[in-house]
Amino acid sequence: MISDIVNVIFCLGNCVLLVNLRRMRLEKCWFCSSTVYPGHGIQFVRNDAKIFHFCRSKCHKNFKMKRNPRKVKWTKAYRRLHGKDMTQDSTFEFERKRNRPERYDRNLAENTLKAIKKIDKIRSDRASDHIKNRLKTGKVQRQKEARKQLELGIHLVKAPLALAQDSSLCLPKIKVNVSQAQTEENQPMEE
Amino acid sequence: MRTVLKVVDNSGAKKVMCIQALKGKKGARLGDTIIASVKEAMPNGKVKKGKVVYGVVVLAAMQRGRCDGSEVKFDDNAVVLVDKQGQPIGTRVFGPVPHELRQKKHVKILTLAEHIA
Repeated sequence: MISDIVNVIFCLGNCVLLVNLRRMRLEKCWFCSSTVYPGHGIQFVRNDAKIFHFCRSKCHKNFKMKRNPRKVKWTKAYRRLHGKDMTQDSTFEFERKRNRPERYDRNLAENTLKAIKKIDKIRSDRASDHIKNRLKTGKVQRQKEARKQLELGIHLVKAPLALAQDSSLCLPKIKVNVSQAQTEENQPMEE
Repeated sequence: MRTVLKVVDNSGAKKVMCIQALKGKKGARLGDTIIASVKEAMPNGKVKKGKVVYGVVVLAAMQRGRCDGSEVKFDDNAVVLVDKQGQPIGTRVFGPVPHELRQKKHVKILTLAEHIA
């Protein structure tokens, strides 16, 4: 977001190279949408001059396989498309790409760094809330099923004596059909 | 050696074959100059088939490390024909070029380029 003019001195083999004005930008991986930090990943430039950034070889290999990230379950593109992750939020406005470099101002830089932390926290809280709400209906369903299962299988949990004493905890009567042929087959096995 | 490269300028040649890399023991990389022999050329071009020319590699499928630690790679191998002094023979350059050329002082190619990657 903020651009600093960085003087970087690199040693390449024997010669020393002075490189000025190399701005650092955090890119987004084209495939999985995670941030690509400097020193990581590969940039692929297609002949039509479109640049693809990849955070790691996993994403790069998937790209070479011509997979569509919108169909690959673990990518952000898929998650956003299928409503698994939060899509619309005001905190996303802060992350839009700006091509105009800002003049360095110490106060501005300090405030921005503080703001980045705060916005990050707010965004992640909202995102986790989104997921929690999404999973709420499933949780209720699972609890209902668990309750039913407990009722049916209470004999696995409580001792038979307790069952006999307390008539409310009785087994529901289930009819099981046993064929004659089955019982005859079982006997040789038991011996 | 023997690598066939595409020519991305309008000098007349279409394909050249590398016969010598001018710098580097392991071969020329992105931004290096090579000596090449023209294998395929347009009928009315400045450069004819069989001519020995110099070229600057502007697209390389092999990744080249950048100063910030990232790596760039292009779709195929391509070259811009230059003369001995490093001035391009053609008047137009097609496709993207890397900004490694600025370091190698091929400023003319950069000015002619459509897109700098």
